[in-house]
Amino acid sequence: MEFCFLRILKLTMKVLVMLLLFLGNIKNSTAYFSSSSEATMHTNNWAVLVCTSRFWFNYRHMANTLSLYRTVKRLGIPDERIILMLADDMACNARNKYPAQVFNNENHRLNLYGDNVEVDYRGYEVTVENFLRVLTGRHETAVPRSKRLLSDEGSHILLYMTGHGGDEFLKFQDSEELQSHDLADAVKQMKEKGRFKELLIMVDTCQASTLFSQLQSPGVLAIGSSMKGENSYSHHLDSDVGVSVVDRFTFYTLAFFERLNIYDNASLSSLFNSYNPNLLMSTAYYRRDLYQRHLEEVPVTNFFGSVMETIHTDSAYTSLTNKNFGGAKTKTFLGQSFSSSDINSVRNSDDEDQFNNLTAEEDQHDEAGQCIFCAMDSGHLWSFILGNVITHESVDFFVCYGLVLMLPLLVFSTWLSL
Amino acid sequence: MTKKKKVQWFWMWVIGSVTLRLILVYFPRNLNLSSRPEVSTPLTSLRRLAEGYWLKRSSMSPYAGSMYHGSPLLLTFLGPLTVTRIEGQPDQLLCSLVFVIADVISATLIRAAGRSLQAAYSSSLKVIGLHQLSETSEVLPSGDFAALVYLWNPFTIIACVGLSTSAIENLVVVLSLYGACKRLASLAAFGWVLATHLSLYPSILIIPVILLLGYGPDAPPRKLFQQRIKLEVGNSSSIGSNNLKEELKDQSSVLKVFAWRLVVHFFIWILLWSSYVLVLCGIYLQKHGGLQELYRRTYGFILTIPDLSPNIGVLWYFFAEVFDFFRSFFLMVFHGNILLMIMPLALRLNHRPCFLAFVYIVISSLLKSYPSVGDSALYLGLLGLFSYELKDIRFSFLLFAGYVGVSLLSPVMHNLWIWRGTGNANFYYATAIAYALFQVALVIECVNCMLNHDRMVTKLTTTKLKDAKS
Repeated sequence: MEFCFLRILKLTMKVLVMLLLFLGNIKNSTAYFSSSSEATMHTNNWAVLVCTSRFWFNYRHMANTLSLYRTVKRLGIPDERIILMLADDMACNARNKYPAQVFNNENHRLNLYGDNVEVDYRGYEVTVENFLRVLTGRHETAVPRSKRLLSDEGSHILLYMTGHGGDEFLKFQDSEELQSHDLADAVKQMKEKGRFKELLIMVDTCQASTLFSQLQSPGVLAIGSSMKGENSYSHHLDSDVGVSVVDRFTFYTLAFFERLNIYDNASLSSLFNSYNPNLLMSTAYYRRDLYQRHLEEVPVTNFFGSVMETIHTDSAYTSLTNKNFGGAKTKTFLGQSFSSSDINSVRNSDDEDQFNNLTAEEDQHDEAGQCIFCAMDSGHLWSFILGNVITHESVDFFVCYGLVLMLPLLVFSTWLSL
Repeated sequence: MTKKKKVQWFWMWVIGSVTLRLILVYFPRNLNLSSRPEVSTPLTSLRRLAEGYWLKRSSMSPYAGSMYHGSPLLLTFLGPLTVTRIEGQPDQLLCSLVFVIADVISATLIRAAGRSLQAAYSSSLKVIGLHQLSETSEVLPSGDFAALVYLWNPFTIIACVGLSTSAIENLVVVLSLYGACKRLASLAAFGWVLATHLSLYPSILIIPVILLLGYGPDAPPRKLFQQRIKLEVGNSSSIGSNNLKEELKDQSSVLKVFAWRLVVHFFIWILLWSSYVLVLCGIYLQKHGGLQELYRRTYGFILTIPDLSPNIGVLWYFFAEVFDFFRSFFLMVFHGNILLMIMPLALRLNHRPCFLAFVYIVISSLLKSYPSVGDSALYLGLLGLFSYELKDIRFSFLLFAGYVGVSLLSPVMHNLWIWRGTGNANFYYATAIAYALFQVALVIECVNCMLNHDRMVTKLTTTKLKDAKS
């Protein structure tokens, strides 16, 4: 009997320990997940657009990247947050019949290389090493800021790669390869360094979806233009320029985006569902197991644009200490969590309440410490000054009072010495 | 008669100058005058004051970041005015109004000081027996003239419209001189304390103010009075009236003796006012380093000149372009130059303390660390007070043309250097040197002319005495 009892006891102990560990793990992992994606707020958007092919007959890869560049800029991401890497120069290529112009359609409606194109890595600077350095942020000291991906843990990054690729690799400059595990390692480093909140990888090459097969970091969404064993095809040939000018996947992506403007909130799922395998002549495969949110809820401008909420205030030089901290205004402010513990304000909330109670008549938006306030009820003023001389407003009032008092003192003293 | 006519026209001219300033204020963004280096320096710029005010309201020291380097009292006074905006009116309208009012008050103070100066001078000329000279000295009301010169001087208008706090600095300097002319110790002390507090250089005006309080306003050299008294005593002794002799002896004692009581009162009032001002500043800055921080950031900034942005002075070029290695040496040379000139000028011109103040102001605005056109506005206005003595000034047209030329060329050279890039710092510094040269020429000429006037008066008196004796 006792032996049975002991056995049962041991068993229950084991079960309890296992339960505790299991729960602890879950708690940890949920904490990890929640700390990664829910605690930080989405503050900015970045885009890294890479074209990896050189030579004139790879015109379409350049046009792909430039089309995405144009879209992303049109929807709001500024040049400071776009890293554009173009492996060759098509616009000023000797074989370009239209110098300084790059088209992605044979109707030549859009000049993608018009004004305002800022290329960060050009020509032979587009290497696997530089690409990985951009992603992980491990640069030499002399690299300028415009060539760095300066994202933080609140950034959403769009990573678009196009060129020639294959099973688990992407070809750079016809001489080297980026392999899928390199990309996965780089993304893992980025996650550990807190360089992104969410990452969307879009690849337009042959067998594109093999490139992100090794990814394991949470918060990453990836879509490729074709699956393993499939090629991605160009859309059409421009007989005037002489080469194919755009790839199918990018063409239909652009067709989706050209209907949008900065205010639309089309979701990612509508984007991903818009790819028709018959038209693409390949299957656009996307990977969403690492991405927590539902694709119907995520607007495309979370990655492809930069929609920021702006709050209009009337006064010019209002200090933060004068605003209501818990007010509705600061809640919707995209990004910085304005909790009162974050701001290094000297003022106590108690004093603020006291001050607010004392000067209940005044408008909350007026600045404190104006000389005009010296015309206030002097009884309140004196009691306040005598009460706590240390707080800010009383100091300002006191000095203001003292300054104003100088004049009658002067008149009196002059009268005395007359 | 002449004075009465001038009074009507005087107030019309004042109103005209105020209207002109208001018209200029309503131009878009004050004609961008506040961005000119000749107008706004790191010490007088209103934009920096607004920044300091914002910093203070964000619970930081107003001197953080090396933007604001002025007095905390100005911050309390002008700070709220920089932030209040009235619908439909230009920005900084209230501050511009404050500066316009300061200019008008300075002009009235100059006028009153000029009146008392002129009255005292003509009466002292009468005492030494030059009645004709005394009457000619009263023909032109120099007080009104100086006030109108001050108001209508383009430099003053530019400094006022360009939102430079030099209008207030000039006001307190003029206030102290006025108080001293009227022998009001507390007013003079107030003006001097505030002027020193706002910018360091008016501290050298303590000597002319003491002399003004002690001996009274400008007068011919004192030995002439003694000669006259001796002559009168001699005459009266020959007539033989003892009472008259004693009266004249009293007169002589009054003229010779320095009014020590008034000066002691002056020092007591200086102590009172300066402690008042310092206590207020200390309370204002108690969380941000107190008075030491104040001195480090205001006086320390003025004396060590860390900000080398170009201005119309002569110092920035030395440190920026030429001699950073000898920085301390040049700082000592330039500031010592001001200090070394104090004693000799005081000894030579101690009978004319108001003129001495004028010379000190010219020298300090020439050699100060961050000069602006507001400083020239002050001394050019005060120049009008001595229009009678300086009527024989030589090179007046050359100096006038020089001032006009420099004030026109200096913005051009600045534009060529900074905006177009076709010039370099030497272009701009050349105009700064020319400006300094013209100021030096002006002050030398003025002192020369004043001394010639004194010599003329001495000669006339001695000839009269000789005639009287013989």
